[in-house]
Amino acid sequence: MKVLAFEQLAYRHFASDYADKYDSVTTMPYHALVDRKLMHQDHMHFLDEMMHAARSGFDGLATTEHEQASYDILPNPNLQMSALAYATQSEGLDVGLACVGRSLAKTREPLRIAAEYAVLDQISAGRLVAGFPIGLSYDVNRNNGIPPIETRARFYENLELIKKAWRSEEVFAWNGKYNKYAEVNVWPRPFQDKPPVWAPAIGNPVTLGGIIDNDDNFLYLSWFGPKLTGKRVFDRYWDMAEERGKDRNPYRLSFVQAVFVGETDAEAHREYGPYIEQGYRTGLGAIPMQSLGLPGYVDIKGLEFIIKDPGDFGIVPRMRTIDYKELVDNQCAIVGGPETVAQQLIEIIKDFRIGQLVIMVHIGPMPHELVMKNIDMLAKHVLPKIKGIWEDENWENRWWPSGAR
Amino acid sequence: MSTQVVIKGPERTEVVKAWNDQIDVRVKIAGSGPALVYLHPAAGLYWDQFLDKLAETHTVYAPEMPGTTFGDPYAIHKVDTFLDLVLIYEEVLRKLGLKSPVAIGQSFGGMLMCDLAAHFPDIFSKIIPLDPAGLWRDDIPVLTNQLYLDKPENLPGYLFLDPSIPAAQAMFTPPSDPEMMVKHVAHSLWSLGCVAKFIWPFPDQGLAKRIHRIKVPALIIWGKEDKLIPVAYAAEFQKRIANSRVEIIEASGHIPQMEQLDKTLALVKAFIAS
Repeated sequence: MKVLAFEQLAYRHFASDYADKYDSVTTMPYHALVDRKLMHQDHMHFLDEMMHAARSGFDGLATTEHEQASYDILPNPNLQMSALAYATQSEGLDVGLACVGRSLAKTREPLRIAAEYAVLDQISAGRLVAGFPIGLSYDVNRNNGIPPIETRARFYENLELIKKAWRSEEVFAWNGKYNKYAEVNVWPRPFQDKPPVWAPAIGNPVTLGGIIDNDDNFLYLSWFGPKLTGKRVFDRYWDMAEERGKDRNPYRLSFVQAVFVGETDAEAHREYGPYIEQGYRTGLGAIPMQSLGLPGYVDIKGLEFIIKDPGDFGIVPRMRTIDYKELVDNQCAIVGGPETVAQQLIEIIKDFRIGQLVIMVHIGPMPHELVMKNIDMLAKHVLPKIKGIWEDENWENRWWPSGAR
Repeated sequence: MSTQVVIKGPERTEVVKAWNDQIDVRVKIAGSGPALVYLHPAAGLYWDQFLDKLAETHTVYAPEMPGTTFGDPYAIHKVDTFLDLVLIYEEVLRKLGLKSPVAIGQSFGGMLMCDLAAHFPDIFSKIIPLDPAGLWRDDIPVLTNQLYLDKPENLPGYLFLDPSIPAAQAMFTPPSDPEMMVKHVAHSLWSLGCVAKFIWPFPDQGLAKRIHRIKVPALIIWGKEDKLIPVAYAAEFQKRIANSRVEIIEASGHIPQMEQLDKTLALVKAFIAS
């Protein structure tokens, strides 16, 4: 069992009525909303907190990519990962570095991503997890102008090109539909022979099929409410994996879960609760639903599936005004004292067969000191209870970087 | 006004094999008399009373853009560029044996029609763009991207000055059968997605550079209250097409042939007869 710490780089100082006035993507006015010193401070706190997690015993650190977003200001997460790769390497902290997004559908420079990832793998001596999400519709189509119906084809071409650029012994030509290069010869190549690939997705069967067939790792996110969406998506995944001749190795599966730990249940709800509620409302909740799937972004079969049964979206349509209680009831965040949290996590890990748990340790406006406390509480009281899961089953973890612990 | 909208619809469908036989283009046909080609907007082909009326005096040919045909969604993946699309339409019209027909194009269909007439100056004898897309002015943004981003229930507001008119209501009413409703909604969204391949994020494929090549007479019709493509674009088309004139339809949004059927039809018929 591997446990990673994950954060989005949110601006932490929005007013509590932010979601009444602004979306969290594309249109929010930067200069009216942001104080430059606080933005700088948030950037530093993000790195400080990730380093704290690395020093505290987490197996890895994870980041995602979102452009023109106020809830995750990481237009290129490799920049932060590069700082973390160097700092952890300098301190001898052999944590995995899971960059679980450079969006491949939106990029017009896939070879740049191949090279950046290779650089990260070199600095960290083989600790990179290469995340290749398709990318959310608002980011791929709205922010980057990619026609929605080309989203998937671009993703698959870029993925194939990057994998070939990493492994090819010869300089090769790539005459693709979206990329034309006469001489591909990426320098450097990754430190690892084959960096593990994780594919973040929300459970669309068409996407899942591609992940399984590529033998990549499926990373699922809990924000939609795992009580509502977890069982259906994970059952679908494992059923599809079996149909396609794959084993039930839990390391095939990674799962992002927001977790906040206090000394007691009551303290945790009191201390973290308001930030969790505001974080969901002003982050995921403030993305307009239409911007998650512009016409053409979802395949027509997927559309029929969603229209018939919108359950995969969980509580997202109500997220903008969601109450804290409902977030906790649906496990959008697991909050409580160490025992409560550990028990819920163990249940999720075992029920869904999760090999890598990616713990979101911060959300929205949560202040630095509280995030540091959460990391401490997780490391001291929760990680020891969950790290040994799966050890007795002797599965090989082919989706973990060879240079990491 | 009767609230019942009766639409006769197409009488037959012809399948034209195009693009080295890779794509089956469905052409809906009705009526008899001289050929008239109709090119549909971004939402796909919706056969309305306007086409019924035209079919009383003409043989109306209405091709469905690849991908927007019900049951054949993935044809769009065989069309990579707007040039591919223009060539496919030229091939279809040629294979139908149409000799310089009159053409009418609505919105995206108008953009496509103008580019066909620019690429192939003899392909049509006359063209009638109805609130066409295809040109761009930074100071007067075309709102097609906003339409794609907005909630589906707001869509009628982009297209009609008065979305409550029976013709609009009829167009936006999905089938009552639940299975068919799912397929219909998915197909409608997919059709928008197919056309977005050529109009996202802007409906600008460089027509402004080629439009001067259009040599046939053009009647540019525009709804005065068009929210999607503002009426100021009528003059932009008019000044670029040598043999053209503009007719502005009062009390109409983006689809004058539905919102002001009689006025629009009268102008179209007079122009064709002239």
